[in-house]
Amino acid sequence: MEMVDRYIYAVTQKLPQSQREDIAIELRGLIEDMLEERVGNGEIKQNDVEEVLLELGSPKEMAQKYRGTKKYLIGPELYDTFLIVLKIVLISMGAGLGIVFVIQSIVNPVEILDHFVGFIVALVTSIPQAVGWVTLVFAITEYYGGVKTKDLGLEKTWHPSMLSVVPDPKRRIKRSEPIVAIIFYVIVMVWFAFSSDFLGVYVFDGEFKEVVPFLNEDTFSQYMPFVLLLFAIFIVKECLKLITGKWTMKLMGYTVLINLIGIVVVSYLITGDNFWNPTFMSGLVQAGVVEEGTKGYNTVETIWENSTRIIVILLIVGLIWDSVEGFIRARKK
Amino acid sequence: MNEQEHIDKLMLELRRGTITIGVLSQLFSPQYGYSLVTMLDEKGVPVEPGTLYPLLRRLEKQGLLDSSWDTNETRPRKYYVLSEMGKRVYDQLCREWESIVKSMDDLINTRGDENIGDG
Repeated sequence: MEMVDRYIYAVTQKLPQSQREDIAIELRGLIEDMLEERVGNGEIKQNDVEEVLLELGSPKEMAQKYRGTKKYLIGPELYDTFLIVLKIVLISMGAGLGIVFVIQSIVNPVEILDHFVGFIVALVTSIPQAVGWVTLVFAITEYYGGVKTKDLGLEKTWHPSMLSVVPDPKRRIKRSEPIVAIIFYVIVMVWFAFSSDFLGVYVFDGEFKEVVPFLNEDTFSQYMPFVLLLFAIFIVKECLKLITGKWTMKLMGYTVLINLIGIVVVSYLITGDNFWNPTFMSGLVQAGVVEEGTKGYNTVETIWENSTRIIVILLIVGLIWDSVEGFIRARKK
Repeated sequence: MNEQEHIDKLMLELRRGTITIGVLSQLFSPQYGYSLVTMLDEKGVPVEPGTLYPLLRRLEKQGLLDSSWDTNETRPRKYYVLSEMGKRVYDQLCREWESIVKSMDDLINTRGDENIGDG
């Protein structure tokens, strides 16, 4: 009879705590009844037990019937979008890592094998991460979205008058917009993560010579988590756009919030002392791009020294524009 | 899917809807799960225990059935019986069922005439 215990355990394990004991007793009674009918007062053989359990079906199905409803991590409504986003993220991540690999091979062709191994390792380590994060975001959306409409009874009786207006073409969000944005973010993210030292000025002199990096390689690793997190929330923003499909006040709210976080984080990062490469100018001189004291040198130096301010201003303008655009389009009836 | 599989699938759907009435009809006196399985089986309405047991619990939860544990026998058994509401619901269901049967009979029996008329 140990097999019966196992069966009952397997079924009740998948059920809510409160019902387990009751159903366990009931199931045991049922199985004993079925066995009794099969063998009468004779001895119960292993074979009989197996047949009875087979008749009852797998514990999984049994538990499902007791539960009545199916449970989803990501339900059918979100599943298509989930697949799209996952594909986009994986493909653009692969592309980003591919680009990194190509650049590394150009910069340092001798170690191409090492670069290739690095490329494979990066793929293997980042694919599970990407899948995990995308799934987490969608699971959270599912959890809150699902609870709101069904379980709390907030769903009112439906009436045709409740149908929302077909969104003005100007309010609709073309699927291509968030998709392009996600591809862009993922590729840049991968770049930052795997070869931040290749973000810089590429010096060619007939053939490739060197890279004068923009960023401070010594301290960048401290900033890395913030940068990646920032990209991650921007990707979440694009996912929300993709899911909603049109500008709404709620979507606008999220957009504004995420953009604000973006402005704060970026401002904090790039105005810090250690973010930029402190030897950028001398690096350029050494590479022979500009000569000290010339007009060109002064121009580049001015741009370089003001770059922090320029980037912050561009970013703020861009993100504010994004929010304002959302606001205008969300208000269109 | 071949023809037989289509038929099986449709029959499954058809049966699923009738099981509840069948079960309610047998619960004017208290029964435990397995006695119901045998009873329905004898009357030509086979129901798998794996379907019936969860169904009984669901009907109880909805208030159509009352239940009580009988611990005097060799093994504890949960007996189900129609609640007051269950009886009323069952009566109403029977009336609905009869009207469905009547309409369906009409549909099935006039099928030939309609076809000739249309053709």
